[in-house]
Amino acid sequence: MTVIVLAVTQCLFLMIAAPALVGYVRWLKARLQGRRGAGMFQPYRDLRKTLAKGMVIADTASWIFHMAPCVVVASTVAAAALVPVISANQAGDQLGDLFALMALLILGTIFLALGGLDPGTAFGGMGSSREMTVAALTEPTLAIAILSLALTAGSTSLGTITNTLLTTPSNAIGPGHALAFAAFLIAMLAETGRLPVDNPATHLELTMIHEAMILEYSGPYLALLEWAAALKLTLLLTLAANLFVPWGMATSDGAGALAVGLAAVLAKIAVLATLLAVLETRVAKLRLFRVPELLAMSFTLALLAATSSFFTR
Amino acid sequence: MDATFSRLTMTGASAMLLLALVVMWRHHVPAYVTAFRMQSVALAFVGAVVAWLGDVPELFLVAALILGLKGWIVPRILAGMEARRPGERELHPLVNTEMSLLISGGLAVAAYEISRPLAAVVSLPTRGGLPIALALILVSLFIVVSRRRVIAQIVGFLMLENGIALLALLGAYGVPLVVELGVFLDVLLGVLVMQALVPGIEEISAG
Repeated sequence: MTVIVLAVTQCLFLMIAAPALVGYVRWLKARLQGRRGAGMFQPYRDLRKTLAKGMVIADTASWIFHMAPCVVVASTVAAAALVPVISANQAGDQLGDLFALMALLILGTIFLALGGLDPGTAFGGMGSSREMTVAALTEPTLAIAILSLALTAGSTSLGTITNTLLTTPSNAIGPGHALAFAAFLIAMLAETGRLPVDNPATHLELTMIHEAMILEYSGPYLALLEWAAALKLTLLLTLAANLFVPWGMATSDGAGALAVGLAAVLAKIAVLATLLAVLETRVAKLRLFRVPELLAMSFTLALLAATSSFFTR
Repeated sequence: MDATFSRLTMTGASAMLLLALVVMWRHHVPAYVTAFRMQSVALAFVGAVVAWLGDVPELFLVAALILGLKGWIVPRILAGMEARRPGERELHPLVNTEMSLLISGGLAVAAYEISRPLAAVVSLPTRGGLPIALALILVSLFIVVSRRRVIAQIVGFLMLENGIALLALLGAYGVPLVVELGVFLDVLLGVLVMQALVPGIEEISAG
């Protein structure tokens, strides 16, 4: 019973904390650029405002356009349920492993691209085609990076991977772990539409990928998509923190252990989000035609990581 | 003890392979030369680790020579060659960047598969790095065949040489000192001769 309560709580925690994380990154970026910036909780106000607004829908839009936001939200929430957040004893392991997680994420990406294509506008189609170019390389990279950990742990379920790493920390030393972490971070930046692959702060048509796909959405649909994007960022950051640096996670169901686990995961996500904001302030966006080169680099890193953990088991 | 030894050499060898991959991703010769310089430093690090933990004191001398020759003199000569060259600087390799990276990944996987019997025979604590050394040799060879400009091919060739030196260090704790010194002289002489010949070669291939 406690296991189920814990699993639901973890998922809810990710869902509620997601806009705050995005708000924190935006606020820190503003501070680093010398602006005052909106507070950390601004995304919640934005979401409330957007939810209350009416919708303008193109005449050419079909049922796919209406379905896309729901599928995106549902698949992202389902993926969030699989991620170990506070406790390494993950009830979500019984629902699915890393392949289920990747399948859910790609389902969301595909429906987002379909939603962009459906109204038949130029921007939407452009954004969708770019998103597919990027996703074709990032999704396998993420999967292979986690797979290299799974090979060392001997199991593909996310909870077991973190548990194995907690019990045998020496697995983390060596080239495989570092390479997989680097590959995962690069692919994560591309997957969540951050710099240097996509610029989350602009609606400039030449640079946008994610914003181009959701350009036709407004009102509650837009709010759902923005919230799903925030949740995806949060869940990938949590995954990076907990799979590669699991220390501090609760291994028992005691209240004390869970409190420590919560504090640890908050601290780890805060560190990663700070790094993300600093990185986004320091780097410029890559030319679109150099993006596949960066992604091929991260794919090769992930491949090397998986190879080295496969052969040095 | 053995575990530390194995991990340190593995880390050094992996850094060397990564620096060979950096060459695929960069577009300018100075970046190639920097990658080669850092790779030589990593090789010297592996040499020093083997000398220290493998108890082969003469390898300290070899590591120092690597650092001086391949980490300092040869990169300087290469950088000087590039600085004197007029005209366009960007490299246009025969195989584009994405394909190069994916092929290198494939070569690394192949190297792991090929070197399995080798790693079974060698019982030294450094044997974990053998597939990486082999991968480095294959990737460097790919750099040599896939680059258009002669100077980039020289960097690839020098990286190939680094890979062979790494294989010798990890597989047999280095070759006899006399042979090692001979190889160093060869490398230096080779680069000096190249320095004289490259402008002529580039003129012919351009014309």
